[in-house]
Amino acid sequence: MIQINGLTKIYKLNAKKMAELKTKKNTKIAVDNLSLEARPGEIFGLLGPNGAGKTTTLRTVATLLKPTKGDIKVCGFDTQKEGQKVRDSIAFLTNEIKLDPNFSADYMFKFFGRLHGMSEEQIVARQEELFNVFGINDFKNKKIEELSTGMKQKAAIAVSLVHDPKVVIFDEPTSGLDIVTARSVTDYLKYLRDQGKTVIVSTHIMSEAEKLSDRIGVIIGGKKVEEGTLSEILEKNEAEDLEDAFFKLYSKYGTEK
Amino acid sequence: MSGMSIILKKELKRVFGDKKLVFSMFILPAIIMIALYGLMGFAIGAMNSDIEEHVNKVYIVNADARLKNAIQASGFEKNENGETVNDITYMTEAEYRADEQKLSDEILNGDSQMIVYLDPEFEKKFTSYKNAGDAIPQLIISYNTTENYSQNTYSVFAAGSGINPGVLDTYRTMLLQERVGNLDLLNVFDLQQNIIEKEEKAKSQFISMMLPYMIIIMLFAGAMSVGVDAMAGEKERGTLASMLLSPIKRTSIAGGKVVAMMILSGLSAIVYVASMMIAMPVMSALGGENSPMGQGFGGLSLDLVQGLQLGAIMLALVFLFVAVISFLAIRAKDTKAAASLISPVYIVVMVAGMLTMFMSGKNVPISRYFIPVYGNAVAIKDICNNELVGTNFLASLAGTVIIAVALTIGIARSFDDEKIMFNA
Repeated sequence: MIQINGLTKIYKLNAKKMAELKTKKNTKIAVDNLSLEARPGEIFGLLGPNGAGKTTTLRTVATLLKPTKGDIKVCGFDTQKEGQKVRDSIAFLTNEIKLDPNFSADYMFKFFGRLHGMSEEQIVARQEELFNVFGINDFKNKKIEELSTGMKQKAAIAVSLVHDPKVVIFDEPTSGLDIVTARSVTDYLKYLRDQGKTVIVSTHIMSEAEKLSDRIGVIIGGKKVEEGTLSEILEKNEAEDLEDAFFKLYSKYGTEK
Repeated sequence: MSGMSIILKKELKRVFGDKKLVFSMFILPAIIMIALYGLMGFAIGAMNSDIEEHVNKVYIVNADARLKNAIQASGFEKNENGETVNDITYMTEAEYRADEQKLSDEILNGDSQMIVYLDPEFEKKFTSYKNAGDAIPQLIISYNTTENYSQNTYSVFAAGSGINPGVLDTYRTMLLQERVGNLDLLNVFDLQQNIIEKEEKAKSQFISMMLPYMIIIMLFAGAMSVGVDAMAGEKERGTLASMLLSPIKRTSIAGGKVVAMMILSGLSAIVYVASMMIAMPVMSALGGENSPMGQGFGGLSLDLVQGLQLGAIMLALVFLFVAVISFLAIRAKDTKAAASLISPVYIVVMVAGMLTMFMSGKNVPISRYFIPVYGNAVAIKDICNNELVGTNFLASLAGTVIIAVALTIGIARSFDDEKIMFNA
């Protein structure tokens, strides 16, 4: 379970960044008073354009960033006061956080298993399961740097799940993957949901969000502008599909900031 | 297994699991060091042999019979095997004046090595000298200090070589003998030098000057080679963030990384020092007794306590260097920025190590031992000279370790700083 209550994240900008963003303000509101809830046994899709605040929101949930305002609870643990417990409850995957290219998937899996306090037997059993699901056994001893993008992503997903976490947070997990690998990832996310895990996935691929998510939250300009099941969102916005609904929302809120 | 030891093992495996890295970090520097010093020794040896074997061209103007005898007696012209060492051309005043500029140019261009010019009225002035203030004859020696052959020819002519006396000394003695008769009259006292020194200090003088600087430079270089990549490199690649997502304390991550780097850079420094210990005698053997580092490490002998003291100081130093480098590297945006932040520190460390090279005396106040790097260098010098007292040893350790611990805490805090870690 993830509960986000009134999350606001404001970045301070230095002169260089102010010039890059062509602004005179020395702050940027990345997330603005955002509240949402992702429940066990569901996939919550976080949808939004680039720079909407999806990654900032997920990083704050994962304790990598601190909220400027608001609070977040993961499995009942406060992200600011009980960071270690939160990190032990989640799998977090994003393109910018990578496995050490000097090691093999096998070593990385065991390394993170040990950091999560698992016994060698637990690690081996878990490795057998996940490496089979993602077809990693064929390249498990190769260095990460020698793997293709798809292989790296599979290894990263398996490693992130080593400790069988209750909450799975994947930021654009199919980005850069071929259709076969992408399908195996989305299938496994559905499997995790069916196992009762809380799954939160950010994406800007409408079709993926449509097929995968039980509920969807749309973020534009750091604000949550819509939340509900696919049918609820389509009905509210009188749209034929999610893409249509998104563009209606974007035309309404996208220019506000 | 604690989080810190898991991180430590991973960091060590990163290096020891990569044969190329092991070779470039620990084996290649040793090979290069020994080869480099060997080559230097060979070059010095070859240069010395060349100077010794070269037949120098010497002009002597207005030479009298005494000077010719002195030259023969001192073996300046021919060696004990009858081989010509210096090719001497004797000239008259008229011959010299006719070619004066040409002979001078020869010296300048290195075509000849020395001109010895005796006053044309040498004999007259010498024999007519009676009282103080009377004119004395001139002897002018022309040579080129920028040419090795010329410089060496002058040295041998003036002061001799090996068992052979110098021509000038022999000539002067001959003239004095003639003038005074009994040379003993010129001796007013018998000088005897009674040298009072600690034998081990005398033997280790060279090494006590060099060792602190060498240890400091090697340790810093070792720490730099592993520290920048382990912090700035991992941050740049996004692999450090994956560790920050694990349920262990930031201090465990910082501690694991710092201890691993201490081990690696310590090993690297040991390889360097051991290579030098091998390389210097090689250089000495190839370069001859007169090579600049001919004494090598031969003069250094440490007892168990001194060995432990040296080990503790090296450990404290490596802790400090790793902490400084890691602290700067983690705050840098990438490895390039880290390198530019660390370079000025390297210069400061070099200067601190160098300061002790030309420092003498036991009267260094204890407050200076607290200064990191400088205090450690002074303490290492004291160990070599068998002069380190317990309080100074502890002060040198305390100053360094306190700063290193503070920096390690700073590294752990940096891991929690989203501005530093994610440029947020």
